[in-house]
Amino acid sequence: MSKDIKVSTSHKGDIAVISIQGDVTAVTGAVIGNAYGSADIASSSKLLLQFDKDCYINSGGLASLIDIASEGRKKHQKIHAYGLSDHFQKIFHMVGLTRCIPIFPTEEAAMKDLK
Amino acid sequence: MEQLVELSLPNILGAEKEAIEKAVTVAEKMGFSKDRIEDLKTALAEACINAIEHGNKFDQNKRVRVTFSANNNSLQVIVHDEGDGIDPKKIPKKRVRENGFPCRRGYGVFLISNLVNEFYFEKIPGQGNNVKMLMHLNG
Repeated sequence: MSKDIKVSTSHKGDIAVISIQGDVTAVTGAVIGNAYGSADIASSSKLLLQFDKDCYINSGGLASLIDIASEGRKKHQKIHAYGLSDHFQKIFHMVGLTRCIPIFPTEEAAMKDLK
Repeated sequence: MEQLVELSLPNILGAEKEAIEKAVTVAEKMGFSKDRIEDLKTALAEACINAIEHGNKFDQNKRVRVTFSANNNSLQVIVHDEGDGIDPKKIPKKRVRENGFPCRRGYGVFLISNLVNEFYFEKIPGQGNNVKMLMHLNG
């Protein structure tokens, strides 16, 4: 059940994009980690995490996202997110993840700030 | 409190989804708002994951039992594991590392405590542990 995740990568100009649909857990976090580790994403200085509004995220998934934020900081990579449901925006704020991955209400707003 | 339903889940990550589905059904029927149901879903998921991982230590011969009870004002959910449980004193309090980043793990109990009205641990000698969570309809 926890393996239900779809992750894809793309680029919009010089901004790398990881699109995430499904369950973000300790198990599926590795899929996101692998996408993040791919050469074209890892080497980009700007990264947008595009969450589907129906994404489910648990504490194991939060740990995977904290890993990405931590790696990003080491590389001076700017990471933004958008698309999260109101509930998971609240969870991001609660655990302090928005300090390293700010959340934007729309893709346009996130892209504008990354540029 | 009137007991509404009891589930017995296999001790594998992902099994918490069944409890979440049941929680949604029960909470909707009681009249909880969508926001509060989302809070309950996350709190219950974390309690189940803790039971599987820290309580039953991934032992697939053990089960996680989830009991829903209610009265007019509140929903009580008890997550029971068959292990030694979590010592509340050993739960890390620190949430932020020196570099300002959030700590990597240890959010389960933190999330539960922030999302339900009341919660506490209960050790049952020789039987395991309960995490009791209470959600009030009016808050």
